[in-house]
Order: sequence, then structure tokens, then C-alpha cells
Amino acid sequence: MRIFDPHIHMTSRSTDDYEAMAAAGIVAIVEPAFWLGQPRTNVGSFVDYFNSLIGWERFRASQFGIRHFCTIGLNPKEANNPKLSKEVLESLPRFLGKDGVVAVGEIGFDDQTDEEEACLARQIELAAEFKLPILIHTPHRDKKRGTERTIAVVRKAGFPEERVLIDHNNEETLPIVLATGCWAGHTIYPNTKMDEHRMAALVKKYGSSRIIVNSAADWGISDPLKVPKTMAVMREQGIGEDTIETIVWDNPVAFFSQSGRLDLAGIDQPPTIDRAEKFATNSVLRGDQGQVPS
Amino acid sequence: MTVAALQETFEALLAARVGPEAARWLESARAAAAASSLDPMLALYSAAAIRVGRAPLALSAAEHALLAGLLPGLSFERWTIDDVARALLLMARREAGRTDDDFVADATACFEHADAREQQSWLRAVSMWPESARFLPTVIDACRTNIVPVFESIACENPYPGRHFPERNFNQVILKALFNSIALSRVVGLAGRINPELSRMARDYAAERTAAGRSVPADIAMAIGADAGGQEQPS
Repeated sequence: MRIFDPHIHMTSRSTDDYEAMAAAGIVAIVEPAFWLGQPRTNVGSFVDYFNSLIGWERFRASQFGIRHFCTIGLNPKEANNPKLSKEVLESLPRFLGKDGVVAVGEIGFDDQTDEEEACLARQIELAAEFKLPILIHTPHRDKKRGTERTIAVVRKAGFPEERVLIDHNNEETLPIVLATGCWAGHTIYPNTKMDEHRMAALVKKYGSSRIIVNSAADWGISDPLKVPKTMAVMREQGIGEDTIETIVWDNPVAFFSQSGRLDLAGIDQPPTIDRAEKFATNSVLRGDQGQVPS
Repeated sequence: MTVAALQETFEALLAARVGPEAARWLESARAAAAASSLDPMLALYSAAAIRVGRAPLALSAAEHALLAGLLPGLSFERWTIDDVARALLLMARREAGRTDDDFVADATACFEHADAREQQSWLRAVSMWPESARFLPTVIDACRTNIVPVFESIACENPYPGRHFPERNFNQVILKALFNSIALSRVVGLAGRINPELSRMARDYAAERTAAGRSVPADIAMAIGADAGGQEQPS
């Protein structure tokens, strides 16, 4: 079964991770723009990061046979720096029209401040302008209230709910999201957010409609194989193959296809990988000849 | 409590704890901090740990009592020698007759250029400045850190959030402390800042943990407050 990880921060991961993901059947990923674990101090730092998502990282993924797409946006934490957020928001239109940018994100609430709400609202306007879906980050703290507030902002903007993916759900927020027209993402982490067994229980309770799972692997304690590992637990729990395929392939494909830029042509063919290929004179090789395991 | 008086106390603390070479460096660094343009000041602020060491301050009971009288609410339990040296450098700069605006700008620059350890020194000292309220945006932003020791240096054993944070930001500090398994007994002034919204957030957090099949922090009742009622307190 082909697997789509619709939320993974590959910039923080190694080539070993790409190898393992490809071996586990992951053929397509979405890397949302997020924060780097500590605050950036100037807009140029964002511009270079966005460029790396649509450039070097996409190329790096291709060297392991993985189709890489991204979302571009100002994350909620850094929305609280007024000077920076203004400049970053002004830079976004330069990126939102590019190939392979399949949503605005991840955007939403962190501390749930007024500044965060203003940046969220502005980026929803940009998504409408560029006809893109949006990927919503829900906060770690006061999550239920933050999820409700997010939905209120989306509705106030009149943005189509079927183009909204609300991520990092748990037992309490999932029913709230499913009561809307939005899609519901779940981040399967080793310690926090959600785990495989809890996820399988949610699928048994709520089914597969508009349900999405991801690893959100990043620089924290996380695991880029959490989607295939969740599939294994779902199988153990007797969840059918059709349901699993809906969750790990059909749903993310249907959601991000709304961008009109999710190019999956040829995804069924085994990839031809030439690791001597270069991106702006850089290859992923470090001296060896780049034998690709068959 | 003037900064000049505090400076004398801090000088005495360090004099009893550093060797002659470190003492000479500190004397010249303080003179340079008072006189120099910003760049040398930033370099000195960083270099303090290499020059004076990082040993725990390990105050005597008498020293604790003296400081508790000068700076009520500020605990020096976790301070190290370089924390004191960095505070002395900022004092030297402040006492050199600059305007308040200059001091706030220069001190903020020290924070913005700091590594995690230097940020801890800066945050531990931030409540002692007469203009400490003006650092509020910087301190609120510092609480967004993912580096737990940096978060602890402002959230714990520090009167600043209790004194200066608006309710919404104070509540976020408490939720973040719970989220990071930090004992709420370490937050200065929590009992006086309990509010209905914080109680609601803490109850929701307990419910979220329970729904996820996880344990609820034993001290969450401290955030819910006295109105929680025995029956409703999560176990």
C-alpha cells in the first residue's frame, strides 16, 4: 500500500530517515513550514527557509524516490513578533504561487493572542486569494478552546471548510472538528499528542471519513515511521485495509489535490534515482558513488 | 532599594568566591561595560562564564537573608557565579549615567544575542531593575522558548511573571509549567494570581489528560485554586 505522510518536517531529519521511509512504503510527503525550535530574528531567515522547502529539500526527497510537497506560512509562535510577522506576511505572496506549494500552513494558535489571531486571519485571506487549502496547527496548551477559536476564525472569514485541515487532534477535539466540514489530522508522537493505539480506537469509533494521520517528525522526540507503525496497529486491531488506505492515502491526496498542485503523475512507477544528479551543484552524495539499493 | 546598593552586595558575594585573576577581569569588564559601545558589552556579557566560572553561588544563610531583604520574592537558590557577574555588568552599564531608554535597549540587546545559558542569567536578574516592567515584551517572548531550563529561569523562583504578566500570559506560563512537569510550587506568587480562566484551563487540561488515558499532574489543584471543591479535584 502506498503511504502519504501529510505532515513531516524533513529539514530536521537525516538521509537514514528518508531511506527508512521509502523502505516502509512512504512515497509522498507534505512538509509544512514551521518554527525552528527557537525564534528567528529577521525576515531573511524566513525567506531562506521557505526557499529551502521548495528547493533543496524537495530535491533531497526525490533522491530517495519520495515526492515532496510543502506548505508555506507564518507559524503562530512567531506571529507574536509584530515587526517580523508584518515582513513575513508581506513575503508570502512570493511563495504561495509556486509549484509544489499545496497549502498555506501551518498556521493557527499557540498562546492564543490577538496577534496570532490577526496573522491567522490574514493568511486565510491569502489562501482564498491563491485558491489554496489551509493547514491548521492546534495549540499544545488549552487545545480545546484553541480549536474552537480556530473554527470561529475560519467561519468568520467565510473560508470553505472542506479546504481546511485541522491538525494535532485528540479525543476531545476530534468530535468538534468532525462536526464541521473540516478535515481532521492526527499527529502520532512517541510521547505527546497521540499514539498508535489511541488512534486505532478513534478510527473504530469515528470511521475514516476526513480522518488523516501524520508523524509530524521534526527536531523533537518524534518518529518518521509513525504512519506505517499506526497502520500496523490498526491492522492488529482488525481495522480493514480499505479503511486504512482511505486514511493514509485517499484522504490526504483528496485534501491536498484541492490546491490543483499535487502532481502525483507517475507515482506508481518505481522511481528512477540518479544520486549523482545535482541541485545547484550540490548532490546528496558524500564521496561515494551513490549505489541505490534495489 | 537602589541599584547602587545592590551592586555593593553583589560585589561582596563575588569577591568571596572568585580568584584574583577573575576579580581583575571583572573589574576591567565592568569599567568597559560602563564606557564602551554596545559590541564590546555584548562580548563581555557572553565571556563572563569563561572568565569567572559557572559554580553554584551556594549562599550562606546570612547571605540568603540579606538578599531576601533587598529583593523580596527573588530566590537565589539556583544562581551561579556567572549569573552574578552578568548582573554586575548590566549594573555597571546602567549606573554609567545612560538614559532609561538606552539601558532598556542595551539590556534587550544582551538578551537577543544571548545563548541559552546567557538568557538564563538575564532572565534570573530581570525583576531587579527599576525599569523591569519595560522588559515585559521580551520576557513574554522568552516564555515561548522550547528550551526548558530557559523557561524555568523565568517561570520558577522568579517574581517577574507574578508581578508583571497580564492574566492571559500568566495563565500560559502555568499551563506550560504543567505541560513540562514543572512543580507549580516553584512559581512565585501563583496563589495570588488564581483567576477563573486559569481554573477553567487547568480543569480542561486535566480532562484532556484523562481522555488520553494519561496521569494528571498531582499539583494541578494549585492552578485550579480554592474554589475547586474537593469532589471535583482530579486525582
